[in-house]
Amino acid sequence: MTQLHPQRLLKIAQFELVRLFLTKRGLLAVAAFAICWLLILRYPIGQAVSLISSPEIAELAQQVFGAIGLSKLLDWPEAELAMYWLIALYSFPSFCLFLCSDQLVGDKQRGTLRFLSLRATRNEMLFGRFLGQVFILAALLIVTLVAAVAVMAFREPALLMTGLSRSFMLFCYLLIAVLPFIALMTLLNTFARSARLTVVLAVLFFAGGNIVVGLLSWQIPAMAMLNYIFPGVQLDQMAGQNAGLFNSIAIPVIQTVVMLALAQRIFARSSL
Amino acid sequence: MSTLIQATGLTKQYGSKLALDNVSFEIQKGAPVALVGPNGAGKTTLFSLLCGYILPTKGTLSILGHNPGSSELFGKLSALPQDAQLDPRFSISHQLAFYGQLQGLSSKQSQAEAIRVLELVGLAEAAKQRADDLSHGMRKRVTIGQALIGKPQIVMLDEATAGLDPIHAREIRQLVSELSSEATFILSSHDLTELERLCSHVLHLDKGKLTEHPKQNNSNEQQIGFITLLLNEQYVDVEAKIQALPDVSKVYMSQAKEYVIEYQKTATAFDITLLQFCYQQGWRYRQLVNGHTLENQIFKQETV
Repeated sequence: MTQLHPQRLLKIAQFELVRLFLTKRGLLAVAAFAICWLLILRYPIGQAVSLISSPEIAELAQQVFGAIGLSKLLDWPEAELAMYWLIALYSFPSFCLFLCSDQLVGDKQRGTLRFLSLRATRNEMLFGRFLGQVFILAALLIVTLVAAVAVMAFREPALLMTGLSRSFMLFCYLLIAVLPFIALMTLLNTFARSARLTVVLAVLFFAGGNIVVGLLSWQIPAMAMLNYIFPGVQLDQMAGQNAGLFNSIAIPVIQTVVMLALAQRIFARSSL
Repeated sequence: MSTLIQATGLTKQYGSKLALDNVSFEIQKGAPVALVGPNGAGKTTLFSLLCGYILPTKGTLSILGHNPGSSELFGKLSALPQDAQLDPRFSISHQLAFYGQLQGLSSKQSQAEAIRVLELVGLAEAAKQRADDLSHGMRKRVTIGQALIGKPQIVMLDEATAGLDPIHAREIRQLVSELSSEATFILSSHDLTELERLCSHVLHLDKGKLTEHPKQNNSNEQQIGFITLLLNEQYVDVEAKIQALPDVSKVYMSQAKEYVIEYQKTATAFDITLLQFCYQQGWRYRQLVNGHTLENQIFKQETV
């Protein structure tokens, strides 16, 4: 039951890609996502240079970005990527909560997991579905990044090579940043009764959890450490490129590992 | 004969409800095995334990020497779980091929295998349809098909023919009968006549307790035989008149128009004598069963 066969794991993960890109419902979600990003690419990203570099706005931008710790982004010659980074860093984790809301729960309710469990271990199903969502998010990140780089290269072709190397770095950071959000949804999927409920529970976790931790840390300051249980705790620091490697990589990776370990414990003993 | 499944002291408790109570049994390789019992008797719980969908509260279960849910059983044990549905977003052949690939088949082999099992359940022409586009009976047949992917040694079918029309139910029975030389089937059904036709070994569950009924050898005594006679109509004094026949030791009405006759085995063929007697009396009979019907074995025997 606990075995993890790489081939079966990959097959299950690949099936998730098919579910998103080759089914009607999946394609509708992709279409909605594409339209949102076309608007983002057309306006905030497409206008990034004029917004950030115009003499009228430059001083204001410097003040505003400096105040919220984003002044480093103004130094990027690839202004489109700076704008992309800010939007993607906050939108992808939120989008993730909806996109990854039905990893196991729908199949569990329908009984489809019973067919799968005769051919794959529970670990393979759990981690395969998680990995599938990671593949999907990676694919969506790549597509949006390529589009942002294309917009940038259209304005200034000379920036293409530096833009590509910077976008590769952004891709890695963004993918790592969304991992704990996907893992949180994997965890919620192990005990929730519906995909909708997993989204509700996730919202409650963030909203209610932050209030509780806020109150606790108000009474006992050391309790502020509890903020580290929330995925995305490091995003504000990452946004301004002010986060160290520990914050940018280690925190989300540790959160992901802990949530997946919890999910594994629950799923291994749950009834299908 | 080799042991396929061995259960020892199997107990499953849901809160305060005892679904299975210290159940022990062995299933050998061979003819299909029937799992019968009223609603809520624990049949689906036992199926779920065998498939590894749930864990027992107590007891041990070994399937081909492995724990239920073990990866060693993939491709060797398959099942039709009750009420489980395929994903409505994919074509049925796509899903069956995916299951084939998880069982270790190549992409090409798995597609051929999907078509093969769909042909077995008479649905090859619907291969490209999605599960949602099929009728309830067709969906059931597809899920039976998924249980036949590869070469499973044990196939468990929970209520396989429930919801199927008589023609397709008959085809499924025929399919089980044909494939029972290749795999050992474990069937759960409320249709006792169906199980009687197919199975030689009956596991009877009631209120979580198990009793076993071998189909043959209704009596331990070699000299005592049983015949179950079903008449077309309700005739007068049937029991008394049959009781008067030579060698008959006991007659009772098991249910309306159905009589169970216990007799001493002698050189004379008693069934021939009985049929001649029916003819003389002008009784039209519908069925003559050599021994007890499964239904009587399970539900009536203790009342005799």
